[in-house]
Amino acid sequence: MSHKTNGLNNKAAWARLKTLDMIHAAAKGHIGGCFSSMDILVALFYGAILRFDAKDPSWSQRDRFILSKGHACEGLYVILADLGFFSPEYLDKYQRSGGILGGHPDRSIPGIEADTGALGHGLGIGAGMALAGRMDKKDFLTLVLMGDGECCEGSVWESAMFAGRHQLDHLVGIIDKNGLCVTDRVSDCMAIDPLADKWKACGWDVKVVNGHDIPGIMKVLSRVRSRKSTKPLMVIARTVKCKGVSFMENDLQWHHGVPKGDILERARLELSQGVK
Amino acid sequence: MKPQDIRDAFFEEMLLLAQKDPNVIFLTADMGAFALEHFKKELPERYINMGVAEQNMISVAAGLALSGKKVFVHSIIPFVTARCYEQIKIDLCCMKLPVVIVGIGAGLTYAGDGPTHHGINDIALMRSLPNMTIFSPSDAPSTRAACRMAYRDHNPVYVRLEKGVLPEVYDEHHDDFALGFKMLREGRDVTILSSSFMTHQACAAADILQERGFSVMIIDVLRLKPLNIDAVEPILRNSRLLVTVEEHSLVGGLGSLIAECLADRDIAVPLRRLGIGDAHCFEPLSRGELQAIYGLSVGDIVKVVEEAKTKFKE
Repeated sequence: MSHKTNGLNNKAAWARLKTLDMIHAAAKGHIGGCFSSMDILVALFYGAILRFDAKDPSWSQRDRFILSKGHACEGLYVILADLGFFSPEYLDKYQRSGGILGGHPDRSIPGIEADTGALGHGLGIGAGMALAGRMDKKDFLTLVLMGDGECCEGSVWESAMFAGRHQLDHLVGIIDKNGLCVTDRVSDCMAIDPLADKWKACGWDVKVVNGHDIPGIMKVLSRVRSRKSTKPLMVIARTVKCKGVSFMENDLQWHHGVPKGDILERARLELSQGVK
Repeated sequence: MKPQDIRDAFFEEMLLLAQKDPNVIFLTADMGAFALEHFKKELPERYINMGVAEQNMISVAAGLALSGKKVFVHSIIPFVTARCYEQIKIDLCCMKLPVVIVGIGAGLTYAGDGPTHHGINDIALMRSLPNMTIFSPSDAPSTRAACRMAYRDHNPVYVRLEKGVLPEVYDEHHDDFALGFKMLREGRDVTILSSSFMTHQACAAADILQERGFSVMIIDVLRLKPLNIDAVEPILRNSRLLVTVEEHSLVGGLGSLIAECLADRDIAVPLRRLGIGDAHCFEPLSRGELQAIYGLSVGDIVKVVEEAKTKFKE
């Protein structure tokens, strides 16, 4: 493992710890989805995948990143603050008076491209951005991070077929496939699998990656700009809900449960050990 | 010159705007209109049939608008309002994006096609959304004006349109469309407020009432949201009897809007609301027959005015 990768793993552990503290302080938030998607976010923002300028969030050449699973915003807030989109002091005011960070992201927050929190909207918005980019002959990418539970929304498949039909090759979807929704497994609710085949049938290229292997995620995404395909790309990232705290992983109660007392301290300790 | 079909009036105006502005994009959920054929032929790269996928249509419109495009979206009223309501609320209204929603089939336009196609809840739905403007034009000139005002607006706009031809009540060159309403007739005894198709129904009722000795004022409300309350208030306050007439649910439409104005401004004037009660209109009948069943015929307007004038006789 390279020095850089070590650094990114450390960054992900640090961001999880910071996210945990933020959610604990507010007594509200979605730890499970934040932790399952954290390695993806770190790969995107620190792994030289996304093109952005934290000092100029509306830079016209930036890549557009939409967190369609808006409930996992706390992890994104930590990263945006760390990169300088806004002051880290706002993390301490998450869901508090005088703050700018709500329980779901909106465009008043620097670095947030679209208001999300209602599932199944982000891919369509991203498709519109990708279409506009093509009309205007711009080369930015539009990346949309979704959940597998979100794929139960019918609107996702409207957008999937639209993007496939229009060959939006600068549109990239990423599914944080942690297998769990709020009260059950996704597969208990819907015939979610075979998920990759569904996207292929809608006209997408599909890559399946380990969503906690930061170098693996970077390897797939770093080739997006140079790829020859005319299709949009869906990256299905196999993940574990609440990844990073061994005794909280894959447990439904941490979708929006907030750990406290002994559980909180043990979680902190475990995450701290990952931060070098 | 024969009055123009309402849809053609809107879409021809939209084409003129699109010819001047390369950022105008038109999305349709697989619904056509005669004038749209011109748009499709002239600007094919900016005419996109989205299929019957209204939720995605609104989200894509939002993505385009976030990228600087001026987007018009189009379908039959229930499908382009209720079906994709959350997308309109979040993607358009929360983000304050300049997307124009063009809904066809105001009120009972689709008559015997039934509740799936009736536009009788749309005002209530759209009126409750912050940042939304609503136009309900009643003839071709006001439809063209609504198209231009919607184009210039920096926020979401909903335009509810009739199909077919309506008599012209506005003068394109002289009327102040920015006011949002027009006094079509002056009168002392009763003030009837209406919009769209029902304005013409109200005019027919006024003709009968005038023969029977009533002096009837008619206010056509072109812009339902925001209603120009400051300008409307003196009219309401100086009326002896107010009657609202709408092919819409009595919950949340024009009648509700006027009742709210009376309450909010402490205006003590009797109000009668004609509209569709708590009902889905299943009867496989013509528009006129449905209006008779739901108390919206010309005769019903005349009757309610006469009864109210008897009750409130000074």
